[in-house]
Amino acid sequence: MSFWEYVGSRHAQLLTDAAQHASAVFQCMVAATVLGVALGVATYRTEWAGNLATTATSTILTVPSLALIGLLIPVVGLGVAPTVIALTLYGLLPVVRNAIVGLRGVDATLVDAARGIGMSRTAQLLRVELPLAWPPILTGIRVATQMLMGIAAIAAFASGPGLGNEIFRGIASLGSANALNQVLSGTLGIVVLALLFDAAYVLIGRLTIPRGIRA
Amino acid sequence: MSPREERRAPRDERPPGEHEVHGLAFRDEVHEREHGAAAPPGAAAPPRGLRRISWQRALTMPLFLAAALLGTWLWFRGARLDSIAHQAVDNGKVGLAVRQHIQLTAVSTFFVLIIAIPLGVALTRARLRRATPFAVAVANLGQAVPALGLLVLLVIWLGIGAKAAVIGMVIYAVLPVLANTIAGLRAIDPTLTEAARGIGMSPAGVLTRVELPLAVPLILAGVRTALVLNVGTATLATFGGGGGLGDLIAAGIITQRMPVLILGSVLTVALALLVDWLASLAEVLLRPHGLEVSH
Repeated sequence: MSFWEYVGSRHAQLLTDAAQHASAVFQCMVAATVLGVALGVATYRTEWAGNLATTATSTILTVPSLALIGLLIPVVGLGVAPTVIALTLYGLLPVVRNAIVGLRGVDATLVDAARGIGMSRTAQLLRVELPLAWPPILTGIRVATQMLMGIAAIAAFASGPGLGNEIFRGIASLGSANALNQVLSGTLGIVVLALLFDAAYVLIGRLTIPRGIRA
Repeated sequence: MSPREERRAPRDERPPGEHEVHGLAFRDEVHEREHGAAAPPGAAAPPRGLRRISWQRALTMPLFLAAALLGTWLWFRGARLDSIAHQAVDNGKVGLAVRQHIQLTAVSTFFVLIIAIPLGVALTRARLRRATPFAVAVANLGQAVPALGLLVLLVIWLGIGAKAAVIGMVIYAVLPVLANTIAGLRAIDPTLTEAARGIGMSPAGVLTRVELPLAVPLILAGVRTALVLNVGTATLATFGGGGGLGDLIAAGIITQRMPVLILGSVLTVALALLVDWLASLAEVLLRPHGLEVSH
């Protein structure tokens, strides 16, 4: 069976897997973004706290994903839970780091001016600092998403959802006629998803980066 | 500890706006836009921080790892293993997995470095400079390919075994290190290379005596990147019969034997953190002396 015949005959299964893959990565990325920006906001003004947050998240990133999933399984069992926890943890670092760098990089005179026109601390943060720090944060989200696409494939080994299952089905039937088609469709599916997400981020950047600081 | 020293954490040595994520160096676009034109090119890679290692900081990681490994070992001794679990760990299988893992990592890192660094140097020479954006684009696109898929495709193509795993690991890690090397060489202040040419240095002299020493920090960061990536990817070698600590993790998951799974995972995590720690020490110790000043 040629690759395209395979894709044609299994398109329902492939589309389900792809949708699950995308939705797992998307939801975990939303969680990682919210948590990451919150961590960044909480720590960026103290030198040690910001460094601690960055060091802690980069240590997590050093841990191989299969090992982290392996450590999560005895605690939360197989399936969706270890996948979601692992993806969210791995998604944190780029967001936290870029949030801290971005927030620290905001010109102090601008924050001063905001205070000068009577903005509250929250308003300064929401209306001046975060919008100015948004471009680097968005870059962090993009990098994290691309990474999560690959990690989600590995999570399928712990019975997680997504296109990784297609790859592992191929591994299980190594040598059979369909092994190559299965692995290839899973891998290419992830590449396509990664590129689609990246294009979406470019669009989001266009729409959400304030006009004043766009290049 | 003063805030200055605090800042000196190895992870923080990249110039502002440039970070390492999962070992991949990347730079915020906004920084490129804001400072790319305004700042002098040399300022793109200012060596930050002092060389002095604070020994407390340097020793925290190995002490923590030793404690974690000792704890795991004691626990594992006491854990009740049935025959299936015994089959996974007896007859020196644990030691073998560790050795295989280190071998996979070392061999693939070696090949990554001898491919990526000369290629990076070649791509920044005047003759090939036009190909650089193309190479960077390929490197970025390559990041979208999942390591697992790449590895398994190679296994199907080349057959089961360590060879396919090593080739997959090399392909996967070459791209970020190549991008790192190109970025490092391009960030060098052109006035410095011009000055070197001006005092009569040959192109080879400019490269070996000016450009490469100045790019050492970024190349070392590339070595660290490759090592950390490879330790992680080596766990996937098990899916292609390549051995390594992934064997223990996979056996633990498939047979649902938690002691085996935990032992394999803890050993993998410890190895990854240890390799990262060694590479961070090397980054600090091997940096050329001339690049330290800046405070």
